[in-house]
Formats: sequence, C-alpha cells, structure tokens
Amino acid sequence: MRHLTTFLVLAGMLLFALNAGAQPFGPTGTTTINVTVAAEASLYINDSSTSLTGGPLFADYTGTTNFTYKIRTSQGSGTGTITSLVTADFSPPGGPSVANPPTPGNTLAYTCNVSAPATSCSGSQTSSTTVAQPVASFGSNARSARPGNSGQVNWTLTNDPQYQTNSYSATVTFTVSAT
Amino acid sequence: MLKSSKLLSHQSPARSGRAGLSALVFLAGFALAAPASADTGTATQNVSVVLNSAGKVSVPAGFSLAATGTTFNAYLGALTVSYRFRTAPSGSGSITLRAGADFSPGGGPAISSGALLYTCGGAGLGTPCSGAQTVSTASSTGVVQIPGGVCTGGGGSCSVSDPATVQLQFTLDNSPQFQTGGYSSSLTVTVSTL
Repeated sequence: MRHLTTFLVLAGMLLFALNAGAQPFGPTGTTTINVTVAAEASLYINDSSTSLTGGPLFADYTGTTNFTYKIRTSQGSGTGTITSLVTADFSPPGGPSVANPPTPGNTLAYTCNVSAPATSCSGSQTSSTTVAQPVASFGSNARSARPGNSGQVNWTLTNDPQYQTNSYSATVTFTVSAT
Repeated sequence: MLKSSKLLSHQSPARSGRAGLSALVFLAGFALAAPASADTGTATQNVSVVLNSAGKVSVPAGFSLAATGTTFNAYLGALTVSYRFRTAPSGSGSITLRAGADFSPGGGPAISSGALLYTCGGAGLGTPCSGAQTVSTASSTGVVQIPGGVCTGGGGSCSVSDPATVQLQFTLDNSPQFQTGGYSSSLTVTVSTL
C-alpha cells in the first residue's frame, strides 16, 4: 500500500510537470507571444576590393570603399561604433606599409562619410595594424533603415618614390558593434 | 445527451411499509447470493446517446520568439496546439488563429503590418495549413482542417494520439527600425465544428 501511494504521488508529479504551462481544453485557447528586441549591428562591404590609383608625379593614391550598415542601439545608454583595422599589411615587401613604411610619415589615411544616424569620424584618420580606428559612432536608440544605411571611407596612401614598382595589397577589417 | 426511453420490471409482490422494504432488500440480497434462484426478475432499459460534433483546444499560457543565427535574422519560435475533435460523418471542423491585439508597447514589431508569419507542421488529426500564413488582428487564419467522421484517439478513422497536436513555427520580422525592448501580444486559437 505504501509503494502504491508513492507511485501515485510520483505519477501525479510527472503528469503535472508534463502539463506545466498548458491550459485546460476549451473552445478557444489564448497564448501570449513574447519577443525581446535587443541591440544588433551588421555591416556589409559593397565592393569585394578597393583599388587605389595615383599619380602622375607622385600624387598620393586614392580610392573609396563603400559599405552598408544596419544598426539598432539600446534605448537609454546604448552606443555603437564602426571601426577599421589593417589586419594584413601591404604585401609583398618593397612597397607601402602601414606598420613599417620605408619613410617615416608615410600613411594609409582616410576620411569618413557615413549617413545618419551615424556620426562620421572627424577629420583624417591614420590606419593602424594594432589599434582599431574610428569610422563612425552612434548614440542611444539609433536605428538604421530596414535595408541599411550607406557609408564611405575615402583612402589616401602616400606615394613614396621609395616604393618598388609592383602591385601591393592589404586587408582592412571593418567592425560594427552596438550595445 | 442521455435519454431513458423505456423501463420495464417485474418483481414479487411484497407487503407495504417497512416490512415490505425489508423483504425487498432481503430478496435482492438473496438474488445476488444465489443467482440460480427460481424467483427472478427481468429489467430492461434501452439507452440511447446522441454524440454531437465537438472540438476543443489547449495551448500553453505563453511562448517566446528568439533571435537566431546572424544579426537581424528573423525571430523564431514554436507553439504546440493540442486539440480534441469528434465530427459527424457529414460534418467538419477547423482550428483557426487570430491575434487579439498587436505587439505592445509600440515602437517594435507590428502584426498589423504583416510582420508575424507561421507555418504548420504535421497534424495528428486533419490537414494542417499549407505554406506561410500571415497572422492578423482583423481576421482568422487556418491552422487545421478536420474532415467529417473522425475523432481524436483510438486509431482507425480517429487519430492514434489523444489529444492530437500540431506545431506552429512562427517567424517575426527583425527590422533595425524596431526599438530595443520586450514586446508581447496575445494569440487566440479557436475551434469550430459543423
């Protein structure tokens, strides 16, 4: 009898667990659907590569990278940023370099043109292989358009006579974040 | 509906009053103890029952949608609808869904703009909806169609399981335009029979 009582109690507990959250049967049933919308951000580089062109007469190389961003920052104290970092320096050797240019002062610099709700970076920024540099910033409750908003980075690379003739390439990684 | 249509009985004569009642109890006990007794009675009762078409449904008190995969992917979530049905041979039934109200507070997703969709998985009984359905606050959309002459549980023309279930997979648009925060709405699942 004692075993039977224990069994019935356990069976009842199991049945209760299985039905947790379920409502009684009836001609209608109503349920609440919940969703939490959190801060998010994404970025898409429109061009698979960016070519810098320069000259003649040692004029600096210039070019533009176009991107599209989507962002949603939190209400209240939310923020967001877009940054750039040279994750692979120019190669092969003998040409321009972000980390070790042949002539001090040579730079890969850029200016920013990022549409609202972003605030574009101020002035000319010098690219780095070690520290992410600002491209744009966002305040709280910043929300891009559904298809995203546009942005541009306009590059300027020093044209140093010290560079050996060749083709060189580097990799720049853009990062967008939102809180 | 239970209806007692006829009652016929035959019993031995008995004295009136308390003595008669005692004798009746005695005879009843005797009859149970000794079924071979010669003093037998026959009682016949015809019982008829009319089973009307019926249906009922049960859903969880609530469920959540969650972001999946990469950023700005749609929010996904599942709702299991449990139901019981019995339909007349020439009848039918259905389960439909409707939003009782839009998401609140404002500033987030809106059902009225077609942001919430669902698809139906396999149904334990009946035919589930086909393709994506757009949840509406103004009209109901189909979940399961129940044919005539079926019931829930028991196998055969009825479902094997009781209750039968159908799982709805919900997809909610995730637009950057939505303000951050928690949003909720109510969905009502309704059964009907013919």
